[in-house]
Amino acid sequence: MVQLFRPQADTAFRLWVIASAVVVIIVLGAGYIYVRSDAFWRVGATAPMQPIPFRHDLHVAGVGIACAFCHSTAERAAHAGMPTAHACLTCHSQILQGATVMEPLRTSAALGTPIAWTSVTRLPNFAYFHHGVHIRSGVTCETCHGRVDQMRETEKVHTMSMAWCLDCHRNPAPNAVRTEPEGSAVEGSRDSLKVSEIFAAPLTNCSVCHR
Amino acid sequence: MTGEEDDGRPSDVTGSGPCETRLWRSLEELAGSEEVRRFGGAEFPEAATPETIDRRALLNLMTASLALGGLTGCAVNRQPWGAPLLAQPRLAPQHTPGVPLIFATSLELDGLGRGVLVRSHDGRPVKIDGNPLHPASLGGTDVFMQAEVLSLYDPDRSTVPMAGGMRRSWDDASLYVTQLSHQFQANAGRGLHILLEPCASPTRDRLIALARQTLPEARWYFHAPLTDGNTHVATARVFGRPLDPVLDLMQADVILTLGGDPLGAGAGHIRYAADYAQRRHARDRPLPRLYSAETSPSLTGARADHRLALPPREIEALARQVLDLVRNAAPPPAAPQSLAAIIAGDLRRAGAGGLVVPGREQAADVQAIAHAINVELGAVNRTVRYVEPIIQASTDQSSSLLALAEAIGRGVVDTLLILGGNPAYDAPGDLEFADLIGRVPSSLHLSYYFDETSRVCRWHLPARHALESWGDLRAFDGTAGLRQPVTVPLVEAMTAEDVLAQLVGEAGDGHAHVQATWREVWGEEFDARWPTALEDGVIAGSAAPAASLAAPVGWSPPPAGPPVAAGYSMVVFAPDPSVWDGRFANNGWLQELPKPFTKQVWGNAALMASDTASALGLATGDIATFTHGGRTIEAPIWIMPGHAPDAVTMTLGYGRRAAGRQGSQRGFDAYPLRSSRELWALAGVTIAANGRRDALISTQHHHGMEGRDIVRVVPATGPVNWPVEPRRSMYPDYVYDGNAWGMSIDLDLCLGCNACVVACQAENNVPIVGPDEVAQGREMHWLRIDRYFAGVPDAPETYFQPVPCMHCEKAPCEVVCPVNATVHSSEGLNEMTYNRCVGTRTCSNNCPYKVRRFNWFNYNQKPPAAPDAVQNPEVTVRWRGVVEKCTYCVHRISTARIAAKMEGRPIRDGEVMTACQQACPTRAIVFGNINDPDSAVYRCRENPRSYELLKDLNTRPRTTYLARIAGLGRGSVGGTR
Repeated sequence: MVQLFRPQADTAFRLWVIASAVVVIIVLGAGYIYVRSDAFWRVGATAPMQPIPFRHDLHVAGVGIACAFCHSTAERAAHAGMPTAHACLTCHSQILQGATVMEPLRTSAALGTPIAWTSVTRLPNFAYFHHGVHIRSGVTCETCHGRVDQMRETEKVHTMSMAWCLDCHRNPAPNAVRTEPEGSAVEGSRDSLKVSEIFAAPLTNCSVCHR
Repeated sequence: MTGEEDDGRPSDVTGSGPCETRLWRSLEELAGSEEVRRFGGAEFPEAATPETIDRRALLNLMTASLALGGLTGCAVNRQPWGAPLLAQPRLAPQHTPGVPLIFATSLELDGLGRGVLVRSHDGRPVKIDGNPLHPASLGGTDVFMQAEVLSLYDPDRSTVPMAGGMRRSWDDASLYVTQLSHQFQANAGRGLHILLEPCASPTRDRLIALARQTLPEARWYFHAPLTDGNTHVATARVFGRPLDPVLDLMQADVILTLGGDPLGAGAGHIRYAADYAQRRHARDRPLPRLYSAETSPSLTGARADHRLALPPREIEALARQVLDLVRNAAPPPAAPQSLAAIIAGDLRRAGAGGLVVPGREQAADVQAIAHAINVELGAVNRTVRYVEPIIQASTDQSSSLLALAEAIGRGVVDTLLILGGNPAYDAPGDLEFADLIGRVPSSLHLSYYFDETSRVCRWHLPARHALESWGDLRAFDGTAGLRQPVTVPLVEAMTAEDVLAQLVGEAGDGHAHVQATWREVWGEEFDARWPTALEDGVIAGSAAPAASLAAPVGWSPPPAGPPVAAGYSMVVFAPDPSVWDGRFANNGWLQELPKPFTKQVWGNAALMASDTASALGLATGDIATFTHGGRTIEAPIWIMPGHAPDAVTMTLGYGRRAAGRQGSQRGFDAYPLRSSRELWALAGVTIAANGRRDALISTQHHHGMEGRDIVRVVPATGPVNWPVEPRRSMYPDYVYDGNAWGMSIDLDLCLGCNACVVACQAENNVPIVGPDEVAQGREMHWLRIDRYFAGVPDAPETYFQPVPCMHCEKAPCEVVCPVNATVHSSEGLNEMTYNRCVGTRTCSNNCPYKVRRFNWFNYNQKPPAAPDAVQNPEVTVRWRGVVEKCTYCVHRISTARIAAKMEGRPIRDGEVMTACQQACPTRAIVFGNINDPDSAVYRCRENPRSYELLKDLNTRPRTTYLARIAGLGRGSVGGTR
């Protein structure tokens, strides 16, 4: 009977098994590293195209406009709110009034159509985020959005992944720096952890963010 | 349920003991049929594999599942930066993007208004609830109000004018209407005939009055299939002129209903149900007693202390006897124990607190007798108030559909304007109205759908939806409410008022017409009153006053006619609990809503008693041929426990031919059998089996719970002592420091009206699955209403039990989930996390209450899915392959928690209302924090009537029930709780 396998076949098979295992480990490892990397979550990325080349650094650091002036509902609603064309035109009917880059603004105001900005920090639809309650709990804009006042082009500074959210929801104290207003129901409380202990469910219930 | 329980022991209707009454869901279950066992054995019988699987195949499948399992986490991100972030050019006043606005407006049923609050997310109405200020709602709703928002987004609605089957532009259509206007203003309206739906709208009445002046020769007709003049004929006989009765059930101690369904159907039923519930639980007064004599089971009959299943002629006989006995103080010695004597005795004892309510389908004589009894009892202006007709449409014969048919037959109709309604479908069959319309040289139909009537008219104009238009409506008690648009018009369309205004040449839009009406009424005060009226949705103090009745003489009914030959030949017509008169036929929520008694979906059936059916040789599902006067229809039979013998009930509204994609060709059409002389009950119908069968789809055997004590009934008097069982569990107890949410459902107040089911569907984006899927037990309702019968099949007791998720303390579903997709929250909610779910359905299999639903397909994408626009943005729209269930409206809890946190206070009791709770007309559902001894739900749980469903399983449900209070003995003194 003819030998089916040569003497080296055994070695070759073992090498093949080891090589396959290595490839699988490399692929899985690379995938694991990639999905945890900033690149996967677009940290540091800026939107490729905005209708108007808006610069936060000029407006916040330069002119000294507070975040809430334009994002006016951030302190009370789920959405931070985008400035209306009319809000922009408060100044821009005087400043840069003829500039070509301002054309979308004038069109919006004249035709009543919205301006479609590209969001760089967008959560998926199944995560329900409320700006107001975070600000009320003492989380600053900067905690999640970074130093927007220094950004020429707005970029994402955190992954905004669920793990990143949970880091804070498990231990809010470092980021929640609220001071209680006078006459608050929580006596002597200076940190929002107390507040959540007293009235609210732990922040790690699934239904806190998912409905 | 009466008498025997006086030993003070609760009666477990399924419990053991000498007075045991078995609960059953259908005659098939009572007989132990195979079909019922099939649904009892497997949760999804169609999916259960009958043959055994071999080891190798099992390993293959397991390997594949393991290898591919992770792929469920992959999603293709087609838009790398997500949807655009839109910056509006300017903000609408008082609108914060993402925060819903609530508008008060009015919706119409039977021509009468019901006040609603519409929740609109960024300009998109997604949910309708009752307006607490409106007398016809008091915050409660019914299925039609809830489902109206789905009709708004119906993709099958008419969008363009049509002429002769061709699409035409609005310019052409406007030109046509303008020409009509000029033509008829020139000849005073000669040859112009206008058919309208009767509607209690002051603006419409004003425009009609104006048109009657400018076009004196024009003829006006009013038609709706469910409103005929019997009420007015009856009141005219007793009081000398047509009047409308308005009930006050808060004052009533003894009520007799003769047919009809005052608590469960009609324009005023939400208020009546609320009043009855409040009266029932008034602490300082004995329980009211409700007698119902009816042919077909109704929600009122199911709630009644004593229900009499009688064919129509025996209802008339009963009414005559009761009138005689109420008038003659001495009870006739011949039959002291007759039912009529007992009822009359109770009514006499109640005096002014007595009330007789006739159904709209009863003959004018029966209705007149009922009013005469009310007069005799002195109940007028106490339990019932008679007011001048709310709907101004003339009730005389010259404006009926019959008169129009005769006019068309004489050839005097040049132009026929049909503004609303669908007479080619819902006119009585003997008129053959569709053919008549074809004979009119020029006809125009204004309607929301391109329906049966539009098809036979020369012109069709799309009508605006109620949520897109201005208007005003009077409620059942005369209170006027305004209607305002809650969205921009989704398509270019008109209202009937717009057409009338064009005819009389009144300029302006709907807003202007309504303002003009109220400017006339209010004069100088207009500017002050209009904003308040608009915000409240209701005009305070506008209820109709009681009519001054000339001292009513003792009216006596004419002698009874010759008895109808006995036989199984009486057909009774009734509005359908799901599609009403057919106008809601294309609404998927309503089509898939199990009807209260049959639990049938996507169709209707002819209901009859089992004796009647066996005499005819028919069984449930057999198709029979019904013939009368040369007109024939075919209908499937449904044997209905508790139906009166010698009669058949047919619900109207099905068998639509041009309703749209969801509503056409479903069920059978009973209108062709209807006669214009006998609208409600037809004698002498020939019924014959034709050998064919129809697979009727019903959910009555789905999601069955097998256990004792499912519905408990306690005696009206005496203490309640449930056996207390020790509770031990191997699992450690949870500790709740803050809120612990719980729900209590009062089975004594629940009427089984289904409003909560549709409210839940609307609020939580519960998908519509379609008839084929329902037939396999795959309906997705998070909240179902189980209907149980107890007792003998001919005259059973009927119980309704809403079953949402129990949110068990020791939840059987939580411990079996392999991926932790269903977990216990720190507030005691049993949370479902869709993103984790891989669809093993183990939880569903392990749930003793059968409240978990599985998305077998992308039900939210696949027809007949609801359009995206109606989805509530506060709730995730679920994808294929995940399990879902009642969340206790966790998004509403979150909203309340956020509001409380931002204001630095605890959540108040009553601040979180679940959608089902909000919809309930009788406030049977209470929700709140069971850790708070001051909360309403805590008090409910402490009520001696409170019990847990399937308590012996020790799941410790957060949803508890309050037992129903048994009916009172006939003629006995009322008890208290």
